[in-house]
Amino acid sequence: MLVLMLEDIRKLVKKTLDGGKVDGVLALWRENGRVGPHLFVKGDDISTLEIDPKYNLAAVAILALASGAKKIALIGRGCDERALVELFKRYQIDENAIEFIGMACSAEQAKFCECDIPYPTKIQFGKKVKGVVPPELNDVNEMSLDERFAYWRDAFAKCVKCYGCKNACPVCVCEECVLEDPMWVKKGEIPPAFPMFHLIRAYHMADRCVQCYECEEACPMDIPLTLLYRQLRQDMKELFDYLPGASDAKPPLTTVLEDEKLEEGA
Amino acid sequence: MTFEPNILAFCCNWCSYAAADLAGIGRMDQPTNIKIVRVMCSGRVKPEFVIKALSDGVDGVLILGCHIGDCHYVTGNHRTLKRFQVLERLLEHIGIDPRRIRLDWASAAEAEPFSNMIREFTEQIRELGPNPYAGSYA
Amino acid sequence: MSEKIRIGVFVCHCGLNIGATVDCAAVAEHAKKLPHVVYVEHNMYTCSEPGQLQIKNGIRDHDLNRVVVASCSPRMHEPTFRATVADAGLNPFLFEMANIREHCSWIHKDKEAGTEKAKMLVELSVARAALLEPLDSREVGVTNTALVIGAGVSGMRAATDIADRGYDVHLVERELFMGGKAAWFSKMFPLRKCEETCVGDCPHCLLVPEFEEVLDNPRITLHLNSEVTNIDGYVGNFKATIRTQPIYVDRDKCTYCGECTNVCPASVPDERNYGMQTRKAIYLPSTGIVPRSYVLDDSACSHFVGGKCAKKPLCVKACKFGAIDLKEKERTQEVDIGTIVVATGFDNYDPTEKKELHYQHPRVITAPEFERLSAYTGPTDGKLVIDGIEPKRVAFISCVGSREKDGNEYCSRVCCIFTAKQAHSVLRKLPDAHVAVYYTDVRAFGKGHEEFYQKVLDEGADYRLRELEDPLKVTINNDNIKVRCKGHKDFKADLVVLATGLVPQHDSPEICRLLNLSLSGDGFFMEAHPKLRPIDTFTDGVFLAGCCQGPKDIADSMAQASGAAARACGILSKMALTLGVETAFSDETCIGCGTCVEVCQFGAITLEEIDGELRAVVNEALCKGCGTCIAACPSGAMQQRHYTDEQILAMIEAVAGGGA
Repeated sequence: MLVLMLEDIRKLVKKTLDGGKVDGVLALWRENGRVGPHLFVKGDDISTLEIDPKYNLAAVAILALASGAKKIALIGRGCDERALVELFKRYQIDENAIEFIGMACSAEQAKFCECDIPYPTKIQFGKKVKGVVPPELNDVNEMSLDERFAYWRDAFAKCVKCYGCKNACPVCVCEECVLEDPMWVKKGEIPPAFPMFHLIRAYHMADRCVQCYECEEACPMDIPLTLLYRQLRQDMKELFDYLPGASDAKPPLTTVLEDEKLEEGA
Repeated sequence: MTFEPNILAFCCNWCSYAAADLAGIGRMDQPTNIKIVRVMCSGRVKPEFVIKALSDGVDGVLILGCHIGDCHYVTGNHRTLKRFQVLERLLEHIGIDPRRIRLDWASAAEAEPFSNMIREFTEQIRELGPNPYAGSYA
Repeated sequence: MSEKIRIGVFVCHCGLNIGATVDCAAVAEHAKKLPHVVYVEHNMYTCSEPGQLQIKNGIRDHDLNRVVVASCSPRMHEPTFRATVADAGLNPFLFEMANIREHCSWIHKDKEAGTEKAKMLVELSVARAALLEPLDSREVGVTNTALVIGAGVSGMRAATDIADRGYDVHLVERELFMGGKAAWFSKMFPLRKCEETCVGDCPHCLLVPEFEEVLDNPRITLHLNSEVTNIDGYVGNFKATIRTQPIYVDRDKCTYCGECTNVCPASVPDERNYGMQTRKAIYLPSTGIVPRSYVLDDSACSHFVGGKCAKKPLCVKACKFGAIDLKEKERTQEVDIGTIVVATGFDNYDPTEKKELHYQHPRVITAPEFERLSAYTGPTDGKLVIDGIEPKRVAFISCVGSREKDGNEYCSRVCCIFTAKQAHSVLRKLPDAHVAVYYTDVRAFGKGHEEFYQKVLDEGADYRLRELEDPLKVTINNDNIKVRCKGHKDFKADLVVLATGLVPQHDSPEICRLLNLSLSGDGFFMEAHPKLRPIDTFTDGVFLAGCCQGPKDIADSMAQASGAAARACGILSKMALTLGVETAFSDETCIGCGTCVEVCQFGAITLEEIDGELRAVVNEALCKGCGTCIAACPSGAMQQRHYTDEQILAMIEAVAGGGA
């Protein structure tokens, strides 16, 4: 099944490149036994194209476009699509410069990422599988405040401040991160001050986390970051009926209160 | 010795800071626990400031702005409110009692309500006890 | 920063205001131990001349490059001390204030705790002061034209005062005429003589010269039937959008012949006489109004609503002068102005909600209705006849919609004396009448008011005291009206006049939004300071005149209007204005995500391509300095002058470090 899907994708990529409407197709390739991102151009050996493992390509698209490509196609998953949507909103990528080719994740992939929306809005390859909710979510929800604080305190005590989470994040696009600014975060302190360091990052993720799991996968200390960010996504939904990456709606933290909320606030 | 909470309040220049001034002019007795930092608008208060204060050991943080609809900058406080709602949730997720922070409104004329907020919040923090979250790995 | 920080701290006793509950000497001792502090003094009044001299000497003798004064609120004396340090050659923004009076000594009784808090507040200020940066005030040019909103008595006075000083004025009035509510009074107090014959206290004689001053003044552009729909810009450089509704009659051509009214088929209640008579769709609002002109109300006109005149309007045909143009359209224009006087007035309290007063009864009326009833230009030509009868027994009820526990708590200030005036009017016109006045206090504090009140008592007005909390009831039984009040016999009345109070204009919140004003607790526009700046608002360049700021009589309104005009001219007379320094700016780490653009209420931020990359660029003339964009910027690329993250963090750290 997977092999068949890969073959179909390769065929489509070749056709897309030959069609000449895009300058390249951003996807994964295998080079020297390792899989990484690559911008395929006309004439490239399409048999090197891969779709596994998962690799969020949205942030790579910024680089691809910065290097001169005017329009590219991107073979991506649900999280790629959502990340692209957030990057469009923040003017990091021109919406018209991307042709998104969507594939659904397999059940195994969804389980690995603990992803609750493991498919894009437009699925061209693969079949939609059910979202996954990690069992830990219930656990932390049932904890008392003090237990929860102890849980996270212990989890974040492992942080070695490698900034892997930030670097892997497709929607963390700041040129300079406040978490690297000595005004906010003491240089050389490991683990970084808790709760500050991780709360600031979490707050910054609130209206943009697309639940791609890249941060947690990048974390060498296995800190369950997405468990926290998942709850924030839930909050955004509850508070503002907003889900990052789901639509081109403006991030609610930037907009004014709606009329019906005005009364509550006053 | 009884616990005396150490509380930080952000007041906007136009309404809540003026309310604090008016409370002073009216000699409205208040607990000494609160130290006010003046900003032009409650919309200037980065949630990161609140996080930083709690992380550094401040026992409670108040953000006081103009009433919704009365913001000197029209809608600065709209953003304050939304950010605050997210921040409250975030604190709860990580196990910090959200009652340690409070967002409220006081117009320049509301000296009495302002004083009451100060008294109530101080009492609330006194009940919650010292900030257990700061300097966690120290 | 290469320069070594040298902070001087000055602790003020403010006589006993601070000194009584804060040990200022101890605070000063504490300040000496703080980082960068090289010089500390404490004195009786830092704002006094010797106090200021001490600061200047300190800067000179001790090479201070930052100054902290611990005294009152910066909202009070920050400008004073900024000027002081500037006088000594220091950039005025290298000054910081610790508010140990309003926020400390005045609200704490325990001297020990108060002193500790004052020390803490000084620590906060010293921490911030060390990080202050010198700033240059911005200068912008000034458009030497004013906008006055509202052409009631206050607006007219403000407009003529400004024009008399040589500046152009746009005077915008949403009604069809000038004079506002006062134009519809029967007489205006204080009455100079109280004779029935005209002695000049009627609005016509009193106001017409004022009207003419406005009409004749070439510097005043009058926009009637118009509203200000948008204001952009900032002090010295506002842009106002004025929308004018058509009146369909060319005022220059109209000769007031009245032929149009004669043929007009429509008939609707005349709102300006509270429905006591009807009017046509094309009509002359009153003989007393200025500018005098027929106007056409399209909501009543059968040409517009469909009817007899749909195709061939009778009035157009009847007008021999071609003064009527039914094709006239709404117009919108933009004007550049430097300053704004708000003179939007008040609304009359509507007593319908007070069921016990039976306002719906035709012989229970409000004071403004009585004014029309007794006016020579009114529906009865000044004869006291209502509902077909001449009222021999008249009850006046004061404080309706004023001085209420659960309603309008404030005193409307004018009702006592207009009630006396109206009682006098009844007694003059109907000398046998029994006039009962139910009052809760007689507040006749204005010049000549008490004398007038005494005179009305002498004339036989029956003043009946009622405690505020005592219920007062009007009962209606087969058209028999009775006033029932504790402590008094029931009063059978032919007419009941409710002394309705003054309330804020129903749409004042919209004006607030338009101009960034605030409302005080009573719903009227809030002044910048109730005592010291009663005319200014928190929006630079916008001033208040008349009842929009709170109830007042005509004399006070005129005085305030002249004051507002003077304040406005203070701006208009300047070549350039200095604007606030607390603006936002972004640095080269900005990635152009546009979050700041989205949150800016003032359109001050745009994304621009700089060296091939998108960056946020702040128009500092438009930036109001709220800092909302800075809090929204995830990377910290956006910062605010004088309120940098670093400065605020230093204060947070100072608080955290000083845990009690």
